[in-house]
Amino acid sequence: MENSIVIKNMNKYYGKKQALFNIDLTIEKGMFGLLGRNGAGKTTLMKTLAALHKKKNGEITVCGIPIEKEKEIRTITGYLPQEFSMYPNMKTDEALDYLGALSGIPKEERKKRVEALLNKVNLTQHRHKKIKELSGGMKRRLGIAQALLHEPKVLIVDEPTAGLDPEERIRFRNLLCEVAEQRIVILSTHIVADIEASCEQLAIMDSGKILWKGSVSQLLEKAKGHIYTVNVEKQFMAQIKKEYIVTGILPQNEYNTVRIVSDAEPDLPNAVLSDPDLEGAYMYCLHSNGCEVKGGDE
Amino acid sequence: MVSSCLAKVVCSDVRHNFLLHYLAAIIALAVTPIIFGLSELNEKMAAQPLEIMSPIFGMLLMTPIFMPEQNESISDVVRSKKTSHILVCFLRLLCSLLLTIALVGILALYMRYNDSKVTARLFAGAIGGALALGSLGFFSSAVGDNAVIGYMVSASYLLMNMILREKLWIFDMFSFSEGKTEINSWLYLSALVLIVLALLFRKYIKSN
Amino acid sequence: MLFFKECKKILRSLSFWIFFVITALMFFTQYFNDGKFRASEYTGGYKIVENHEQIMNEAINTLMGEYTSNNYVCYPYGFYKAVSLKEKKKEKVEIYIQEMMGVDHNGIEDILESHLQEWLNTDHEGIEVYLESTSSDSIMDFFSQCPENRFDDLTVKSDLTYERFTEIMGEIDDILGGGSDFAVDALVFNYSRVDMTDEDSLKQYEAFIKYDRITYALARLFSDYMGIDLAFLPVFVSAVFVAADRRRRMSELVYSRSISSFKLVFTRYAALVVTMFIPIIVFMMIAFIQAKVVYSGEKMSMSAMFTLPTFWLLPNIMVATASGMLLTEVFSAGIAIAFQCVWAFRCLMSGSVALAGDIGKFDLICRHNSTFDRDIFMQCFNDFVFNRIFFMVISLLAVCIAAYVYDLKRGGKFNGFKLFGEGGLLRRKA
Repeated sequence: MENSIVIKNMNKYYGKKQALFNIDLTIEKGMFGLLGRNGAGKTTLMKTLAALHKKKNGEITVCGIPIEKEKEIRTITGYLPQEFSMYPNMKTDEALDYLGALSGIPKEERKKRVEALLNKVNLTQHRHKKIKELSGGMKRRLGIAQALLHEPKVLIVDEPTAGLDPEERIRFRNLLCEVAEQRIVILSTHIVADIEASCEQLAIMDSGKILWKGSVSQLLEKAKGHIYTVNVEKQFMAQIKKEYIVTGILPQNEYNTVRIVSDAEPDLPNAVLSDPDLEGAYMYCLHSNGCEVKGGDE
Repeated sequence: MVSSCLAKVVCSDVRHNFLLHYLAAIIALAVTPIIFGLSELNEKMAAQPLEIMSPIFGMLLMTPIFMPEQNESISDVVRSKKTSHILVCFLRLLCSLLLTIALVGILALYMRYNDSKVTARLFAGAIGGALALGSLGFFSSAVGDNAVIGYMVSASYLLMNMILREKLWIFDMFSFSEGKTEINSWLYLSALVLIVLALLFRKYIKSN
Repeated sequence: MLFFKECKKILRSLSFWIFFVITALMFFTQYFNDGKFRASEYTGGYKIVENHEQIMNEAINTLMGEYTSNNYVCYPYGFYKAVSLKEKKKEKVEIYIQEMMGVDHNGIEDILESHLQEWLNTDHEGIEVYLESTSSDSIMDFFSQCPENRFDDLTVKSDLTYERFTEIMGEIDDILGGGSDFAVDALVFNYSRVDMTDEDSLKQYEAFIKYDRITYALARLFSDYMGIDLAFLPVFVSAVFVAADRRRRMSELVYSRSISSFKLVFTRYAALVVTMFIPIIVFMMIAFIQAKVVYSGEKMSMSAMFTLPTFWLLPNIMVATASGMLLTEVFSAGIAIAFQCVWAFRCLMSGSVALAGDIGKFDLICRHNSTFDRDIFMQCFNDFVFNRIFFMVISLLAVCIAAYVYDLKRGGKFNGFKLFGEGGLLRRKA
């Protein structure tokens, strides 16, 4: 109870439109991943957990504190929005100082922590740059620094790796893992690889509902026996895409090696059952919950 | 401890977010002597520059209070902190109010120094106009979630007031220029109502 | 089609509906209110007779009065401002007075002395007179303290031409900083006005019915009122619209589409202008129906209520929208709004005293606040046509530049001017 987030039967509306349906979730210490496509309701759920949105009914407690006690909740949570941004005219260290003051950290303490965090996220040499002059990756790192400033028990990060280059992305993931050793970190993403690399537990969301929750290995287990590899001649690709959910295409000389998701054994000559990867498992999960899935159409 | 943090926040706000607006208001004050005659005016004549410029100061200073958080992600970051965002906005508003009163005061003193008859009631009346138009801008930018909307509504009201004058009944900001000699306390009341409504709107409706 | 999509976007924006409400307020409280009653055959107004001798003599009396007390009443921005001149400028004015009256410095001193004598001879209760000497300086010192100071019987020299006179008056108005009683376009209005006789009123009414065919006259009044709002309000709508792209982080998405910048910017401009003109068309219709009801039975022009205001008001919307687009693209929404508001406000307040036929070649706001005065309007009709076409062309040019800037931004060659901050125009050199 003290070290977990418990959500019971929670609903959330924007006006008359229901955005979240009967959410039930328990999140323990460590990295927790929220997976879902754009518009699945991840951001709404995270904002509700950060006490930025109000729920309609149900119950949420964060480390034993009911979500209605906003001030206390905000003392123990750190939040990093999807596209972190700060007053463009402020300098990097000033912005941190400002946000630290908003968290009510005393001046001396603030100074120390700003120093340490700038160091940790590798922004010390950019500390006098204005926010508007920072690159996307630097901004994101500043974002995580500000979210950690008041040493929260819970860290909520929304799509932290979107728009970062591969190197930045790995660095950012590692940073999160390090942070997660002492606290709950909730991470939302539509990129499966992010979850694969860092999370033990995850939940899959779609259209405001939780489709599935559990550990990564449980998800892989569930998808076992539904992922196939097929070699397909190139002229049949269109037909394959129409009939099956394609999660990966590896072009060979005359044919493509294609990974597909299927409930039953596909009616294809050389289909081979293969070990599920997380991406395939995710697709299977969406598919088996009746979501319309279009794979390989990129 | 809390107050020292708040002081830091407000100081930073003034330096980074509102300096340009403060500057604009000060420029407006500086050009007043070019537009208006300010010396040797009787009370009715002295009311003209005061009653027109004061609302402009109020409008320039009170409308942009919510502007720094117009960007949604900035708003989210700031609101996710312990200190209530509404409190911060309220403190910014107080700064703007003080500066508005100071600017009107400087104008009034300058006019007095130049032998114009600026009475206490005229000064209070002008402040009422400043508060009323400023809070109209404050309110409409809070509801429209855009400072431009605030300026649009308040600038239009100023223009309508110049045209409609007494037809605006108790909401007329230029009563002294029209020869009345009583402070229009409705202006103060409406300013108060608009400010409270704007803050309530931001707290309960906007944050959902 | 893109055009309709943009229109839809504008119709869904709050700023457009505020625009609608404010223009509606202007229409109903001003024009609609004025138009409720029939124009009367007996107006009891004034009429202007261009009597040059009268103008010159009245002006010289006023000028001497203000000169002796060194206190000139001016309305440079439509607000009262008393101007007193320093020695050098005072001398300049005196030289002009000498030229107009055909006297030298001694002559002026004589006039002042006799003026003082006359003043002393009349009864002025409660004012103590203390004079050091009877030099012109001390007389003027005395009169600068004294509120009642009028000349009545001065005349200009007989061979002063009216052209030279207006030239001098123009110079004096410049010395005073503009907006004085001697501004050239105010002269006729100030000094050559006579009350209308019943006959004059009747004639005017006839012109209203016969030449203006009612609706032309009403259309002028309509355009006069609406023109005030339309000179500045559209800038808000267009600035919000342009800035919205940036705010919703759409710029990159839009930038990467294949549509040409010119087409995109002009489509948006057209959408803005057209949607903002819709409410005006609605008001025109209401005004027309009102005219039909109020003047039922009279013959009236069926088209004037629509054609004249369109020609009159469209340039206002076009200019304010274009400046909103251009300046927001180059600088920021705040600068666009400040620029347009100051321009429109200046134009509105520094107009001449007469609100009828106040139409210069380069005034953004054309004023004619009268149902009558057809002849005054017709006198400046050519200027009016020039003015409206000029502003249409200017606004189209501005949109071309906006499109060009947009294209540069799209290519990443330009990111808008910043006034402050790194690389800003006003950045202090470290």
